[in-house]
Amino acid sequence: MKFKVLIVEDSKASREFISAAVESISGLEVISTSSGFEALKLLPRHRFDLIITDINMPDINGLELISFVKQSPHYRDTPLFIVTTEGREKDRDRGLALGAAEYLVKPFSPASLEGLVRRYLKLA
Amino acid sequence: MNQAGKALAEFVAESTEIVDVLGKELLVLDQQRGQEPDPDLLNGIFRSAHSLKGLAALFGQEGIATLAHHAEDLLDRLRLGKLSLDDGVLDMLIESLDVFQGMLAQAAREEFSPSMAMRLKELVARLDGVGSAEAAGEEDPLDRLDLEPQVRAVFTEYEEHRLRENVRRGVALWRIRAPFDLSDFDTGLTELNVRLKPLGEVVSTLPSSEPGGATGIAFDLIFGAKVSAEELEAKLQGTPAQIFALKVRPATGAAEPMGSVAPPPAKKGGAREEEASRTRASTADGQESGSRMEQALEDSRAEGGSMSDSSVVSSPHTLSEPPVRTLMLSEDGPPRGPRTEESLRSLTQTVRVDIGRLDALMNTVGELLLIKANLQRMAEAARQQQEVATAASRQYGQELARETRQLERKLDALQQGLLEARMVPVGQVFDKLARLVRRIAREEGKEIDFIISGGEVELDKLIVEELSDPLMHIIRNAIDHGVESPETRLANGKSRRARVSLRAEQKGNHVFIEVSDDGAGIDELLVREMALKRGLITEVQAREMNRRELLNLIFLPGFSTARKVSTLSGRGVGLDVVKNNIGNLSGIIDVWSERGQGTSFHLTLPVTLAIIRALLVGVSGRTYAVPLNSVLEILSVTPGDIRTVERREVLDVRGEHTLPLVRMARLFGHPERNSGRHFVVVAGLAQERLGIVVDELQGQQDIVVNSLGGRLQGVRGISGATDLGNRRTVLVLDVGALLEEAGSLDRRRA
Amino acid sequence: MPSAPGLLSLLTVPALSVLLDTFFYRPDEDIGFLEELVAGTDATSSPLPEESPEEYLAFRLEGEFYAVPIHGVREIVKVPPLTEVPRAAPNLLGVVYLRGEVLPVYDIKVKLRLTDKASLVAGPDAPEPPRSARIIVVQTADGLAGIWVDSVSEVVRLRPSMLELDVPGVVGGERDCVVGLGRRNKQLFILLDIWQALA
Repeated sequence: MKFKVLIVEDSKASREFISAAVESISGLEVISTSSGFEALKLLPRHRFDLIITDINMPDINGLELISFVKQSPHYRDTPLFIVTTEGREKDRDRGLALGAAEYLVKPFSPASLEGLVRRYLKLA
Repeated sequence: MNQAGKALAEFVAESTEIVDVLGKELLVLDQQRGQEPDPDLLNGIFRSAHSLKGLAALFGQEGIATLAHHAEDLLDRLRLGKLSLDDGVLDMLIESLDVFQGMLAQAAREEFSPSMAMRLKELVARLDGVGSAEAAGEEDPLDRLDLEPQVRAVFTEYEEHRLRENVRRGVALWRIRAPFDLSDFDTGLTELNVRLKPLGEVVSTLPSSEPGGATGIAFDLIFGAKVSAEELEAKLQGTPAQIFALKVRPATGAAEPMGSVAPPPAKKGGAREEEASRTRASTADGQESGSRMEQALEDSRAEGGSMSDSSVVSSPHTLSEPPVRTLMLSEDGPPRGPRTEESLRSLTQTVRVDIGRLDALMNTVGELLLIKANLQRMAEAARQQQEVATAASRQYGQELARETRQLERKLDALQQGLLEARMVPVGQVFDKLARLVRRIAREEGKEIDFIISGGEVELDKLIVEELSDPLMHIIRNAIDHGVESPETRLANGKSRRARVSLRAEQKGNHVFIEVSDDGAGIDELLVREMALKRGLITEVQAREMNRRELLNLIFLPGFSTARKVSTLSGRGVGLDVVKNNIGNLSGIIDVWSERGQGTSFHLTLPVTLAIIRALLVGVSGRTYAVPLNSVLEILSVTPGDIRTVERREVLDVRGEHTLPLVRMARLFGHPERNSGRHFVVVAGLAQERLGIVVDELQGQQDIVVNSLGGRLQGVRGISGATDLGNRRTVLVLDVGALLEEAGSLDRRRA
Repeated sequence: MPSAPGLLSLLTVPALSVLLDTFFYRPDEDIGFLEELVAGTDATSSPLPEESPEEYLAFRLEGEFYAVPIHGVREIVKVPPLTEVPRAAPNLLGVVYLRGEVLPVYDIKVKLRLTDKASLVAGPDAPEPPRSARIIVVQTADGLAGIWVDSVSEVVRLRPSMLELDVPGVVGGERDCVVGLGRRNKQLFILLDIWQALA
């Protein structure tokens, strides 16, 4: 069975960059969206094995998404990564406090993301 | 395109979009100078810089990432209230925008010039130098707000700041809980937000899975209201929302910074964090003071809004005013407000299309038009054979003709749709120019009201792109040479502030753009003197020139009346280049000026260059296409009708006026044919008229014009080429250039 | 590499098969001989690893054999009816539409001192072009450009040792677009910098 990864990022180019890095791992299916709202809708429709989210988004912020996931009995065990940029340490720390598993600071290499994904999905 | 090239193109496209948005937002901020900046607007600008930073970092564009990072820092301090927005800061942000654009343009060519690096370094140093000290030690007003820590944990730093600001100002805070169905909650939330926006500020939107099970989702909106509880409740009628007041404890010790605004009293120091307020708001005082504050804000905004009235220009001005104000005049209603709200929906309904793809589609339409023309010919032929044809084949011909007409209509619609897809408002350029005006005026020590109108007029994307350089040059000229210093203006009995206006207007198939100023005007005698001195005209010619002709000498190559070389005009680019650029767009430029009153430049441009209707004419066995939008009429003449006045061939048109003629065969060096009859295509743009003598008329056709490309740009009188099918390539006449050439022939012969 | 490497490296290198496809510009064109030539050169040449051969397109101008590196050539087309451009530079023979773009076609014989005046090949007074004439399309810094050649003869593989880049009396001087000679057995090819020839 394929692992499913949800990517939430409002910048198209960033989203494609992250998707490409994750998709390069065989056996993964990526579903990506530009909005937090859309992510909330996608959650019950799939059984995600990993969620990667941006913090600053126009509708709901990434922290709110993390909080929602971590409070929900259905999704709370799904590991969550935060994608953030340099200088937003406060928001990053809050994300970690809310239960995010890892964070990535842009710019990051596709290899480092790939390593994290493999570790959390227990892929060789 | 290879993978790396594709990634770069994607980066450039998205960054350009972000930078354009950033530019628009900064312009709005600029218009609101002197007022409290709109928090949503500031946050939007911050977000733009933030996105740009992430994007640039991801794609290894270090220069852009660095600047975005430092601009974001500054904006972060602004939106978090740690820094106040003054003219210096705003100027710096606008300068950052210029540098972003410069770096982006270089990035697209995979360059990064040392001078750009210098500029970046210097700007970053200044961005970082802006005051940073935070007013510390004060009690955090947020601690006075009764809110569960787990809710507070979900706020971003910015949301926390907005909440803090609301508490500090004594704005009544509410928790609005709204349950929705999972399938359509975004629509419901959007509706709710639309209702709430005019009533206050939505600080945060928290999703909660608590009620509703698998198919439901609830949201808690933290809302700072500037209206009473009753009004809020009334406005939320019909939505699933319930409201709860968030209580705020009174401040300890220090007086509230807002002075007259009293903190909301807490009736109960109760342990419950929320109290259902279906009954009555417990913080009436707080609401009142909150709405009073908002009222003051509204008032100041209304003042800003009234600037759009041009009458304000003549009102007395004080010295404390900013050097430049940008005023927008719009045909329909008030100018774009400070909050230009676009829903998420409208954003996602826009697609970005490379103009090259539209060009390719347009070429396909051009080919379809050729096929249609062939079908029409076949249908016509079938009908004309009526005597010899059978009834069946006649009917076949009629059906073919009918279907062809259907095809024609659909093709027209397709062509029209494609043309519309290429159209963009000319305001895109105007916005950029407004920023430029600010900078130049400051550098030159001039005080200017820059008035924009008609930004909504639409032109082909390519034309709009090509317009920015010529317009920039003309406006530079206006500010640099046209507009006097404030002191001179006062001495001459003029208002201290000069007025420069940029206006667009659609006139049929053309767009008319005017740049005018109320400055010193152009001295045509000085122009004449200069042209004589440079040998551009002879004494004899000068004597015969009227005022308008003298003024138009400023467009000749090698002409410049500037006595001092300023940084603005000392770029070795003259108005002749402007004229050429406009000519390349099949447009023309004209100037009018009154000494002491001002100058105005008039540009007449076609709406599109993509598909035009053309008249096909035959000259010495060759075929040329003349854009029909510049053809006024066609006359049939015999050699006897053509007269010669001062060795120049002219035609007397119905005894009304004398039309200068040019024989195309002679002009283009083709062997002339003797025939008993000629056709004169009377071409005109603006006030210029010219009769073009050709051998035959071959009909009209819609053509797709392709430019001759880089290698052939210097060919006079030809604007491009088109394919007529059957591998026949036909050249398209540049009527503007021919008019121009005939005009200069006049001068030379005179 | 005989000519400016900076410029060349910007160009995309079409596969030979793609290039040959463009010979099918007209269905009536017989191109069999060219495929044979390529096949022939492939079979006879046994490239040494340290000296990889480069493919050149050889063509004739007024009886002389010339050659240009094939990766600079976008395509080769039969001569279509050309439209003359009045008041343009004398080396411009005319223009033609090629797949949605306006292609200017140039004469280089005058530049090479092979003739005094570019021949009249466009417009209603021009004679039919010779059946063997071709237009070689190249990418330049200002867009595509076509060069009239009397015929295309073959694709030739030349190893660096077969090139003479410093030939007194041939390279330099007035014919500044000639960069050297290529020699395969007894056959000589004059190597051209095609961009210089168009300058």
